[in-house]
Amino acid sequence: MTFPPVVRLVIRNFEANLDPITLLVMFGQPAFLIVILGTMFSGLISSVGSSGSYIAFLVPGMIASQMITGAVLCGRVFWLDRRWAMVEQIFSGPFLRAEYLAALLITALLFSLVGVGIMVLVALPLIGVPGLSLPELAVILGTIALGSLFFGGLLIAIGGRIRSANLYFTIQSVLQYFLIFISTVYYPVSAKTPLVLRAIVYANPLTYAANTVRDAFTHSFGPGDLVAGAVLTGLAVVAFVLAVASFNRLELGPVQ
Amino acid sequence: MRPIAGGETGRRSVSFTDSASPREAVLRVDRLGYAYSPDRFAIRDLSFEVGRGEVFGLLGRNGAGKTTTVRVLTTLLPPTEGTALLFGKDLHQCGRAERARLGVVLQAESLDFVSVERNLTLYGFLWGVPREVAKSRAEEMLALFELNEVRHRKPWGLSGGERRRFQVARELMHEMELLFLDEPTVGLDALTRKRILEYLARRAREGLSIVFTTHILQEADLLCHRIGVLQAGRLRASGPPAEVKRRYRGPRTVEAGFERALTGAERSDLLAVLARAGEKFKVVTFEPGVLTFQAGNAEDLVAEISRWASPRDLDVDRISVREATLEEAFVNLVSDDAPPDTGPRAEFA
Repeated sequence: MTFPPVVRLVIRNFEANLDPITLLVMFGQPAFLIVILGTMFSGLISSVGSSGSYIAFLVPGMIASQMITGAVLCGRVFWLDRRWAMVEQIFSGPFLRAEYLAALLITALLFSLVGVGIMVLVALPLIGVPGLSLPELAVILGTIALGSLFFGGLLIAIGGRIRSANLYFTIQSVLQYFLIFISTVYYPVSAKTPLVLRAIVYANPLTYAANTVRDAFTHSFGPGDLVAGAVLTGLAVVAFVLAVASFNRLELGPVQ
Repeated sequence: MRPIAGGETGRRSVSFTDSASPREAVLRVDRLGYAYSPDRFAIRDLSFEVGRGEVFGLLGRNGAGKTTTVRVLTTLLPPTEGTALLFGKDLHQCGRAERARLGVVLQAESLDFVSVERNLTLYGFLWGVPREVAKSRAEEMLALFELNEVRHRKPWGLSGGERRRFQVARELMHEMELLFLDEPTVGLDALTRKRILEYLARRAREGLSIVFTTHILQEADLLCHRIGVLQAGRLRASGPPAEVKRRYRGPRTVEAGFERALTGAERSDLLAVLARAGEKFKVVTFEPGVLTFQAGNAEDLVAEISRWASPRDLDVDRISVREATLEEAFVNLVSDDAPPDTGPRAEFA
């Protein structure tokens, strides 16, 4: 049985460029944070808004942040393919560039979902079964999908324009930590949050994703979630267009 | 005059490939060019054909445009001028279907972060090779390219030669009709090189067409039915290696050994006879019994020597003519003092 080209590329992406240690760190770190940060801060913070305990607040945020994990792993696959000339090798084979791009974005999505699964498994003993309805589950998965498309597309667009591994991985690390820390993944935005910081937090798409996932967990969808969905969809489309443009202008050949 | 003892006509050329014969063209390149910018061409005005089962060698100095040619012909770069027909289809229109019929070993090493063996089977999987076929082909390639001992190691930990062997082995995991090899034998020892060239020659006899770039001219001489010599992005000459050698060889070195030392008068007389023959020649050494000279048309001068010696009852013990190598022809073609490339391109049928 021969799989379609995109499926073959996705399977290859999962196997070819990712070593177990990297995966352990990428998925282990947020799981570790749920356990340590959640447990420690739950003792200090009595309740956080409608979530209740801090750990119940943190878990949806960490679930939403898995879209960054998926995107980072997808960006890593793409960059290593460039670094080790596999992009050229694949492009000279029976694949379309669009298929390679699609495979990368699907890889980002699948990694995000794997991350979501791990976070849920780690959180279950701490917060219990969240009791999500089917629409709430669909909204969470849709948000993760849109976020993966946005962040994956963004990292592919950046990775396609940079010819230095050092620069790419520096940008990726800065972006990753900046996006996660200046969002509502770890803490809520309140009236006491400085205005500038509040503006930056709300300029971060991860904030919308974290808020939507959190609202699903607390069964409290509101108009803000519709706005969040619209913003994420718009940004995902923009990132996809940027990724396609970057691919069309992709300079093949040696990178460092 | 006795028959020439120990006479030889230089190194015999041993070819892995059979003689060229008319073939269906799988690749037809017509005035092809690629420019980085409007005034900066990497390759220009390239025209050649590659037939089914034919091995075409692209020779040239570093930066001559060999790799760019391969990248354009494998659809990695779009040509900016001219046309090329790949399997009868315009290169601009070529897509998945045509690329599925290609094999490409690029100059840049490419690898996946899995073991050598898994790289082979994974590449087979990418190309849609059935699992069992991929497994048996991987075994064949590991043996052929002497990679069995390193099959469980990651490719980046291999030696340079092993990595190059791995690159070629991996590409041969899938079926193809036209194989592009961009300097596949760089860093390989002579024995491995010979084994790979023999394998490629066998595949060519079975119908695989090969476009092959190399710096090792002896390889091109052995493997290629036809070669093209690139200089500064333009094809300076193309044709069967023997024709290119004949056309661009420098003077051949002839050594004539006599049965006894010649007297001073005989030596002067012989030189005068040769000078009257009208062929340009240059004496390298003239020891009492051995004359060594260089000439473009050595045959006529050798005949003159025989004619001169015969009435004097002087035996010529030995005549050796060292044939021009492809390397000499190549150097003549691409050296800095070669004639400027303004005239028509030399091409031999």
